[in-house]
Amino acid sequence: MSGKANSNRKRPPPATPSPSLPPQKKNVTEEEDLMDEDVFFEENLLQYEQDSQILRDIEEREAVASRLLKWKRPQLQQPYLSHSQTIVFQQLDIDYIIGESHKELFPNSSGPAAILRIFGVTKEGHSVCCLVHGFEPYFYINCPPGMGPDDISRFHQILEGRMRESNRNSNVPKFVRRIELVHKRSIMYYQQQTLQPFLKVVVALPTMVASCRGILDKGIQIDGIGAKSFMTYESNILFALRFMIDCNIVGGNWVEVPIGKYKKAAKSISYCQLEFDCLFSDLISHTPEGEFSKMAPFRILSFDIECAGRKGHFPEPSQDPVIQIANLATLQGEDQPFIRNVMTLNSCSPIVGVDVMSFDTEKEVLLAWRDFIREVDPDIIIGYNICKFDLPYLIQRAEALNIVDFPVLGRIRNSRVRVKDSTFSSRQYGTRESKEVTVEGRVQFDLLQAMQRDHKLSSYSLNSVSAHFLNEQKEDVHHSIISDLQNGNPETRRRLAVYCLKDAYLPQRLLDKLMYIYNYVEMARVTGVPISFLLSRGQSIKVLSQLLRKSRQKNLLIPNIKQAGSSEQGTYEGATVLEARTGFYDKPIATLDFASLYPSIMMAYNLCYCTLVTPEDARRLNIPPECVNKTPSGETFVRPDLQKGILPEILEELLAARKRAKADLKEAKDPRVRAVLDGRQLALKISANSVYGFTGASIGQLPCLEISSSVTSYGRQMIEHTKKLVEDKFTVLGGYQHTAEVIYGDTDSVMVQFGVPTVEEAMNLGKEAADFISGTFTKPIKLEFEKVYYPYLLISKKRYAGLLWTNKDKFDKMDAKGIETVRRDNCLLVKNLVTECLQKILIDQDIPGAVQYVKNNISDLLMNRIDLSLLVITKGLTKTGDDYEVKAAHVELAERMRKAIIFMQQRDAATAPNVGDRVPYVIVKAAKGAKAYEKSEDPIYVLENNIPIDPHYYLENQISKPLLRIFEPILKNASKELLQGSHTRSISISTPSNSGIMKFAKKQLTCIGCKALISGSSQTLCSHCKGREAELYCKSVSHVSEHEKLFGRLWTQCQECQGSLHQDVLCTSRDCPIFYRRKKAQKDMAEAKLQLDRWSF
Amino acid sequence: MIFLTIKRRHKKRTHDSFFSSSLISPHIFPAIKAAMEVDSVNNTNLLHRQQAIYKSLDGIFEIQREMYKGQQYSQIYFARLHLMRTLLYSLLPRWKPYLPVRTVLGLEEGKECVIVGTLYKHMKLKPCILDEYSKERSATPLVKPHNFTHPDDHLILEDESGRVKLRGNIILPSVYVTGVVVALHGKETGAGDFWVEDVMEAGLPDQIEKPLQSGEDKYVVFISGISVGSSLSNPLQFQLFVDHITGHLGDDKEQSIAAQVVQVVIAGNSVELPRGLLNGQNLGSKDQSRLSEPIKELDILLMQIAAGIPVDIMAGPDDPANFSLPQQPLHRCLFPGSSAYNTFRSCYNPHAFELDNVSFLGTSGQNIDDLEHYSDAENKIEFMERTLRWRHIAPTAPNTLGCYPFTDRDPFFVEKCPHVYFVGNQNKYETHLMKGQEEQIVRLICIPKFAETGVAVMLNMRNLECCTLCFGTQFM
Repeated sequence: MSGKANSNRKRPPPATPSPSLPPQKKNVTEEEDLMDEDVFFEENLLQYEQDSQILRDIEEREAVASRLLKWKRPQLQQPYLSHSQTIVFQQLDIDYIIGESHKELFPNSSGPAAILRIFGVTKEGHSVCCLVHGFEPYFYINCPPGMGPDDISRFHQILEGRMRESNRNSNVPKFVRRIELVHKRSIMYYQQQTLQPFLKVVVALPTMVASCRGILDKGIQIDGIGAKSFMTYESNILFALRFMIDCNIVGGNWVEVPIGKYKKAAKSISYCQLEFDCLFSDLISHTPEGEFSKMAPFRILSFDIECAGRKGHFPEPSQDPVIQIANLATLQGEDQPFIRNVMTLNSCSPIVGVDVMSFDTEKEVLLAWRDFIREVDPDIIIGYNICKFDLPYLIQRAEALNIVDFPVLGRIRNSRVRVKDSTFSSRQYGTRESKEVTVEGRVQFDLLQAMQRDHKLSSYSLNSVSAHFLNEQKEDVHHSIISDLQNGNPETRRRLAVYCLKDAYLPQRLLDKLMYIYNYVEMARVTGVPISFLLSRGQSIKVLSQLLRKSRQKNLLIPNIKQAGSSEQGTYEGATVLEARTGFYDKPIATLDFASLYPSIMMAYNLCYCTLVTPEDARRLNIPPECVNKTPSGETFVRPDLQKGILPEILEELLAARKRAKADLKEAKDPRVRAVLDGRQLALKISANSVYGFTGASIGQLPCLEISSSVTSYGRQMIEHTKKLVEDKFTVLGGYQHTAEVIYGDTDSVMVQFGVPTVEEAMNLGKEAADFISGTFTKPIKLEFEKVYYPYLLISKKRYAGLLWTNKDKFDKMDAKGIETVRRDNCLLVKNLVTECLQKILIDQDIPGAVQYVKNNISDLLMNRIDLSLLVITKGLTKTGDDYEVKAAHVELAERMRKAIIFMQQRDAATAPNVGDRVPYVIVKAAKGAKAYEKSEDPIYVLENNIPIDPHYYLENQISKPLLRIFEPILKNASKELLQGSHTRSISISTPSNSGIMKFAKKQLTCIGCKALISGSSQTLCSHCKGREAELYCKSVSHVSEHEKLFGRLWTQCQECQGSLHQDVLCTSRDCPIFYRRKKAQKDMAEAKLQLDRWSF
Repeated sequence: MIFLTIKRRHKKRTHDSFFSSSLISPHIFPAIKAAMEVDSVNNTNLLHRQQAIYKSLDGIFEIQREMYKGQQYSQIYFARLHLMRTLLYSLLPRWKPYLPVRTVLGLEEGKECVIVGTLYKHMKLKPCILDEYSKERSATPLVKPHNFTHPDDHLILEDESGRVKLRGNIILPSVYVTGVVVALHGKETGAGDFWVEDVMEAGLPDQIEKPLQSGEDKYVVFISGISVGSSLSNPLQFQLFVDHITGHLGDDKEQSIAAQVVQVVIAGNSVELPRGLLNGQNLGSKDQSRLSEPIKELDILLMQIAAGIPVDIMAGPDDPANFSLPQQPLHRCLFPGSSAYNTFRSCYNPHAFELDNVSFLGTSGQNIDDLEHYSDAENKIEFMERTLRWRHIAPTAPNTLGCYPFTDRDPFFVEKCPHVYFVGNQNKYETHLMKGQEEQIVRLICIPKFAETGVAVMLNMRNLECCTLCFGTQFM
């Protein structure tokens, strides 16, 4: 990374998100790293000698060579070989490299130039590397009035001089290639005159845009004019994106290079089958319609590595070897992978349908993988957490082993992958130093990142993600066992390989199941950014890309607004929330929704950068009042007849395209076409909604709070307006049976109780109201009636639950918002209680039943009858104990477990959690007054040693609040009734088996019937209970029988998940809902059996 | 009280002098009654009860000395595979002598071979315990199908080395269940599947030739599902049964047949207890008696049988016994009265024994019921035939049928072919004489639930012929 560019740019302080904004607001905290990075071609190349070494290695390894047949891409056919064919390919990745300018194409120029590389696949499946020449980096500045051609050339010289000063190391002959006078207009503010002069500054290399911008920002001394700083325009656009915009290329579309317009390079620099040079002006970009909406058969590689960590440590590349790499290669559109293999260190027993390749040294494993990558030549590399773990680990490991020629994983010959240091910090994983790996020409798609981006889940482990989406529990082998398996025999290594393969297989399944390829390619096509941006960058680049494309058509320029820390101006009133009239409603509640409210508002009122009239202009320009709209927040925008806004136009196109896609979707039969269309309509919807967020992102590319605050102010007005109309029109006086009442309203919906008793009547009135009110709004704002809640429990703002009806005969589902059903730091008991209560209240309409259910559970809790797994609380360990300012339960426990390694206590030290792990714990009874964090304990340890849990902690800190929230609207004195009734009086606590005092206690048999101590010959019953033998025996045996039932079901389930009947279950997945139960069943079973055996025959 | 009146009425018809004139409750003096009975039979009818030599073969089903020490189910599968593979290998020379034998690991694409392994049936509809914990409840409750088979089910063959998916229409997923060990002839396809061309099951085991009988008829009576204490059970019906086989009912001819009953086998579900009471809490005295009353009633009836005829009682799914197979005998403390007789035997489920060298094997029905849930067949007899051909009476244990995690053996393996194979607690009476390739002859019997049908089954050991005893009470 060019240090210069970096230091120029101040990082703005993170904005505190204001709660009043809708979810899009999260853009604000996302930081856009819009930074070009010039990479010189020679920089990453290996020496030639090493290359021939590699080749020789391959020849020697015949076993690998024999596989090439299966791995290779299809052979090129004659027309391609003889260059008598137009090359059409779907591009997936575009980057650029600095190289010598092309002698044949540009005989007159010399010196370094940016060469764009487009990587893609033809429809036959050939890999393509298209080297595009002649596209130059540039940006605009405003032209001071009165600047003539002479002034420009003088200015050019001065700028060139300044550039030379600040880029001393560069050997570029000419920094500023040329400066042109152009006529354009700034996008900002409504302007009456159409065009103004601007200067287009064309520089030699992409990074020079930033350094040049820096110079012009600061100000430059020009003779005759004096020191002057310039406003720059479009100076922070990534070079590759600039190229795509100017050539009309959108992410993942098809590009054509006609016959004769391309030249085969004399010496190929890439491993691609088709590599050629061409001029950027000769490229033909196809819009993704018809034939060109299809996907090329690109190759997707899913892989996973296993490392043998040391006990108690997370694997570190400097020490811990890579022992297995599992690979799965699939052609896009096929449902079965065409390659399945695993590379193992040391021998490994064969696996059916899998090519097992065993090697004696780690070096061979790594090199074999590199060769594999080169031959299979994947276009997309997927996996779970590969970007942050697997790929950097492999690279660092190769470094540690001093394998210089390992990291040639990209498509450029002998070019090593680039590794960037990055400190990765997130609330999820804490701070981890990691490396970012750039693999040239291959798109990385990390499913973990995609999951975190697109889905709100309680846990993002591959295990729970696949349980959630694929309905498949994955066996989880703890990393402490991995080393043992590796050190065993070929069989245990095979076991590990199967596990590793599954980890490579699941990401592929997730990719298929969630249609990620379709959805992301369509998103790239709609927004026009390269696919790789979608995961690695924020939302706003997508809007920016669309905005740039549109303004290019309109001759508009986007200013580079300085991103000063703008936290003060960054606040404005957010969406409105009508006062919630909390309570339990047993009459149908109709919901009136605004269809895509914010985009509609922007379209209806023509809100845009270029329609905004500044207060000065408003006075100065004297625009007739009928030509402007004054927004409720006090801003002025001109009406579309005077100047049509760009944002409304973009939105209209997006929504029209969505309508089209939806219509096509209805027609389409072919499942692949359907997938494309569905992905497209989804992408269009998301894009339309993110436009508003873009204008409100105060640290974004082009914030314009006038627009965003106007949008929300209109939104508020609409909600109020709707409420008023509903309550005015639907009254008994107005001829209706009941007077309607608006009970709640949020951002874009209003909940109305029309007072009618049936769903059908409520639906009719809802439709009537929606139609009536829609008529009063400016188009395209539209109020829609979609659903009825009946019954409905409104707890507070943003918290409600109800049965959702969209047709009058049957409810669709139970809908709950903001209620503790998914939060992951709660224990399962809370979730179960809340879900069950809602179920009883809403579906069964049995409030006493719900109360009784809660009481029973509380009583069970106090009587120590609740299953431990329901009480496990899980928290992520984000840093080590010392870094936490406040002591937290899970951190303390992790520390204690770590210390146990040193003292060799009974605990299994290897299972001590590391930073990044999720720590499960339960709260146990401790001395009076002990802090909560001192009472945390490992659930397994608790289970094994009968340690009593602290029921009061659970009662007070876990279950009481969520329950009261639900019951307070329904029940008088809910707290008293639920939490203090007679059911809370009886308490039972188990005796720990590990405490000090128990070591001195003598165990004596007690009567099974009455717990009286017994002595003498009898083993089972005291003399008083003798007559009740049959009854007591029945109880004992039914106890055993219950446990046997559970034992059998739990352990056979685990066999099923691990996919083997003949192997013992090893899984330690604590995310699995039955993990603790399974352990407990084993222990309970043993105890129950012993108890039964006392009834000797 | 009802019990006594009924009894008296029908005792009158049987000319029983002692009980008709006396109101001494047999509840109180069981021993006296038994003694009297023996006397009266000897004195008046001079019918002697036939006897047979009984030999228990239940030893393998005992788990009294076994412990739950954290062992898992892999070992029983391992033991099963080991046993069955040895057996199947020995049969290979006769089946496919020319084919090489491979393990799942050793498969090579396109090469025909034989592999032996445990089947695993992947079932779409199979209920999963994970769902109970993790699934969000859907608005429409899940319908619990009686049978979990689905056209998409497929079979996988597994040995210690690995798994392979089976293809082809020779081996039908609807017939087989998880846990069966078979030998397959076929070849690996490119996709890593195994194309099956032929299947070999272990087939009926060898049978000890049924001893030549002396020409005498000796009967074994099977009954199951008496369910004392359930709403369906009719005390009179069972009493009629007891009186009939003990010879207190019918004319001389019937009594003489009754005298030829040498053994009664009760195949499970003898009592039905109010399960709700067994939740671990202390019971009030009223509930205590509700719980123990049915057991006492059963004890009295059993005592009446045991006084005259040897009786084997097996535990069933509803009995106060453990759940997993093999179910251990019902505890003697439940039967203070009958256990005083040495003719009363509380047995294991499954139960294996010999009578006069005729071998019997049977269960209380769980094995066949489970097969019915996870595979398809015309009738219950077909399921029974399959288990014998697979040489395993409970292949679905432990997968879907609860079972003790044995470490060194698989007690459900059928080593010797029985002469009589019975299952209890079926919906209706079915029987069939199965013949093996090596002249094995097995009488298969589905014993219906007595409380629901009033039917018991009588088997003649001489010719393995079978008939039912129906007890109706409508005319009363």
